[in-house]
Amino acid sequence: MRSSTGKIPLQDGLKPAIETIQQTLGSSQDFIVKPIETAWNREAVLMYMHGMVDRQILQHSLVELLEGVKPDELPAETREARQLLTHIQKKALTAGDVKLDETMDELLADLLCGYAIIMIEGCMEALAINVEGGEGRSVEEPTSQGVTRGPMEGFNECLTTNLSLIRRRIKDPRLWAQGRKIGKMTQTNVVVVYIHELASQEMVDEVFRRLDKIDTDSILESGYIEEFIQDERYTPFPTLYNTERPDVIAAGLLEGKIAILVDGTPFVLLAPALFVQFFQSPEDYYQRADISTLLRLIRFLAFLITMLAPSLYIAITTFHQEMLPTSLLVSLAAQREGVPFPAFVEAMLMELTFEILREAAVRMPKTVGQAISIVGTLVIGQAAVDAGFVSAAMVIIVAITAVSSFVVPAVNLSIAIRMIRFLLMGLAASFGLFGIMTGLIVLVLHLTGLRTFGVPYMTSIAPFVFENQKDTLFRIPWRGMVLRPKQSGSQNMQRQTDPQQQKNIQSAAAPPADGSQQPASTAHSHSSPPAGSEKAASKRDGTGAGKQEEEPS
Amino acid sequence: MKLLRTILVALLLIALLSGCWNRKEINELAIQVGTAIDKVGDQYRVAVEVVVPAEVSARAPGSGRSPVTIYEATAPTIFEAFRKLTETSPRKIYSAHIRVLVLGEKLAREGIVDVLDALSRNPEARADFYIMIARKSEGKDVLKILTTLEKIPADDLFYTLDTSAKTWSPTTAVTLDKLIEQLVTESSSPVLTGARIIGNQKQGETHKNLEEAESAAIVRFIGLAVFKKDKLAGWLNETESRGYNYIMDNVKSSAGHIKCPTGGYAVMETTRTKTKLKGKIVDGEPVIRIEMKNVGNVSDVECDIDLADPNTITALEQKSKEHLVEVMEKVIQTAKTKFHMDIFGFGQVLNRSNPDAWERMKENWPQHFSKLKIEYAVESIIHKIGTTNDSLRKYLKE
Repeated sequence: MRSSTGKIPLQDGLKPAIETIQQTLGSSQDFIVKPIETAWNREAVLMYMHGMVDRQILQHSLVELLEGVKPDELPAETREARQLLTHIQKKALTAGDVKLDETMDELLADLLCGYAIIMIEGCMEALAINVEGGEGRSVEEPTSQGVTRGPMEGFNECLTTNLSLIRRRIKDPRLWAQGRKIGKMTQTNVVVVYIHELASQEMVDEVFRRLDKIDTDSILESGYIEEFIQDERYTPFPTLYNTERPDVIAAGLLEGKIAILVDGTPFVLLAPALFVQFFQSPEDYYQRADISTLLRLIRFLAFLITMLAPSLYIAITTFHQEMLPTSLLVSLAAQREGVPFPAFVEAMLMELTFEILREAAVRMPKTVGQAISIVGTLVIGQAAVDAGFVSAAMVIIVAITAVSSFVVPAVNLSIAIRMIRFLLMGLAASFGLFGIMTGLIVLVLHLTGLRTFGVPYMTSIAPFVFENQKDTLFRIPWRGMVLRPKQSGSQNMQRQTDPQQQKNIQSAAAPPADGSQQPASTAHSHSSPPAGSEKAASKRDGTGAGKQEEEPS
Repeated sequence: MKLLRTILVALLLIALLSGCWNRKEINELAIQVGTAIDKVGDQYRVAVEVVVPAEVSARAPGSGRSPVTIYEATAPTIFEAFRKLTETSPRKIYSAHIRVLVLGEKLAREGIVDVLDALSRNPEARADFYIMIARKSEGKDVLKILTTLEKIPADDLFYTLDTSAKTWSPTTAVTLDKLIEQLVTESSSPVLTGARIIGNQKQGETHKNLEEAESAAIVRFIGLAVFKKDKLAGWLNETESRGYNYIMDNVKSSAGHIKCPTGGYAVMETTRTKTKLKGKIVDGEPVIRIEMKNVGNVSDVECDIDLADPNTITALEQKSKEHLVEVMEKVIQTAKTKFHMDIFGFGQVLNRSNPDAWERMKENWPQHFSKLKIEYAVESIIHKIGTTNDSLRKYLKE
């Protein structure tokens, strides 16, 4: 790459320059060079990487650029090569970014990012036209977070598409997207999206600081970024949220969170990520509040079952038999009659079998997946019991654990719980309920100690935030969600006009003399920076409502 | 980091040290559901009824083997006898799920306090099992009678007593803690339900007992055993038991007949009843006032009365009231004349209301008790008369 530094070697005509580029790229097959005709019969050449450009846009652009400029319409000074190039640059409308590259580095970077390069004989600069494109998935239904009600489109691998999906949902000039290129070799586009004046500036700066610190060759997925920028390395719990759903990202941004889009993956990161957030399904906000609350409580219950069911079974059946009703004890004893292993080994055996089956189901080609599930059900169910390997009750426990683990909406959290479950099983087998209790205490200590971009991971629960309870265990109706959830530093808390305030304003706005003055005050408070203070925000919203109120009259 | 690693290693070592303290798999336990304690000579004989899980489980087809097995051991003290059971039992006897304790009548006459001490000292067993006295037999025999509906005899005893105590006033279910409380309270004497084997004992112990619709032998709860201190003093009959339970507010619901003015019987079903005991001193003499509110329905009319007439209901209420007073008077009379002791804890009632007077009287409370005046304030209310009006007899005549 040493040879490519410095100016583009155009001083001796096009040929040496093209040769140098070709040499640098190792005569790669997908490097296309095409001579083109320009005005004043100047020699020119078009270069692009096959497959990196959208050929339709390229064609449109070329028609526009080259055929559009008729020699007789051209001003005389364009006889000079440099002038011709700038003239062409001005004519480019269809293409996105059009710029002049001076150095070889710039040229190569652009070329590899899907720019088409035009070089004209006698000009020391190259024209780079952004015609980025190529084959990719269209916007499809997200597979990882299904909903029965809600938008069905998901992010895909193309960053620009993803960004547009977000912007289509938040049409506000304050939705800012600022990019970085990370990965020395992959040159991956990473874009940080946030709503200016809603997200805390400190946190935005922190995100950039952490992104800039990343020093690696490659970023192939947002998981790379997640690991590089998370607060705590030694924890099974995810401290960044990821999703395929644009609506979830939009909702997060509107709460003052920060999204990180990575080119080449449909999974977008959201920071800060709180523990309770992993129990929220986007559907919670689209269904009625009572339904959502019930479903959310079921998810928390399922979380506890996934984590505790096998260990509680072990602890109670081997240490605390007095806790079982007599008839249940007798029935369990009858089932365990002749089972050769202690309950712990039995449970380990079954849980491991299930984990293996689950992993197999994920890796298996779809066509043989059916076979796995049939063998799996037989192995884990009937056969194991009939063979006297395990007791029937254990199968029930494993089944309920497995089913519950799928209820938690976030896959990464559910994996974390699955790991912790095995630790708790060990504790239960050696200390009984005391062991489980100790394990849980350690777990709670760990969870409360976690931070996500400086915000306590368990926010809303510990530290307890009363205002956030409207959207933690319960989801109250939208009418009640007047303020945004409280996180450290999130500015502009007002989400809707407080119904109470609205009433006051209505009565205040009733006399028309007063009403006429209000638009002025509205304009005033808009121009003043509404940064932070809740009062300013509520005042603005309040007066806005007042304005709406008087329009019909 | 280094500190964390040290702590982690220490924690792991603790897990090894423990050696799984007190761990026992379910199928390594002999689940004890019933205990019978008898006196043999001057030694205690402990018999425990242990479940055979495979025979009881719902999935097992009836193999014809006994659902329970009984281990017994004899030793000078109760705890030794319990430990000696391991001589015959292949598994550790696990006593947390004990449902009933049957005490032999002989043991009861000689005193039960040592038994209670041994049982209440055991941390494993819960205190919510029912205690009963095997009437005219040994405790062990009661546990041996096989039962059909509940496969485990101890369960059968437990549920029979439980149901009966809730719907039939002459029986009462006493748990270990309640018994001890009654035993140690001054001036109060415990009572226990008697369990009597009816029928052929020998056949009742075999599988034959399960093969016929009418079992050859069953266990019936008859009468209450009255204790003087910890020794069995005698038995109350059905009416007396009923009176005792009414006074002690043990009745949840029951049924009892009253005589109709025109002859024949009407039956009143008690649905709710509440008794309050109050003590006072009148002219230096102790008086106990029994306040009772009894709510019930007419559930059976076997005489010729006009239920549509409110006066009839009032008359029935009056009759019912008289009947209740009569039942209670009877048992108090028995206590005064036959046992010469306060089985109701009237002394404690007096102690609560007039502690000073009690201080004076407690020395010779038995004498005071034999002369004790009782005031009855019984209120009986009939709420419903069932789903028909007049007795069918009325239509029969026309």
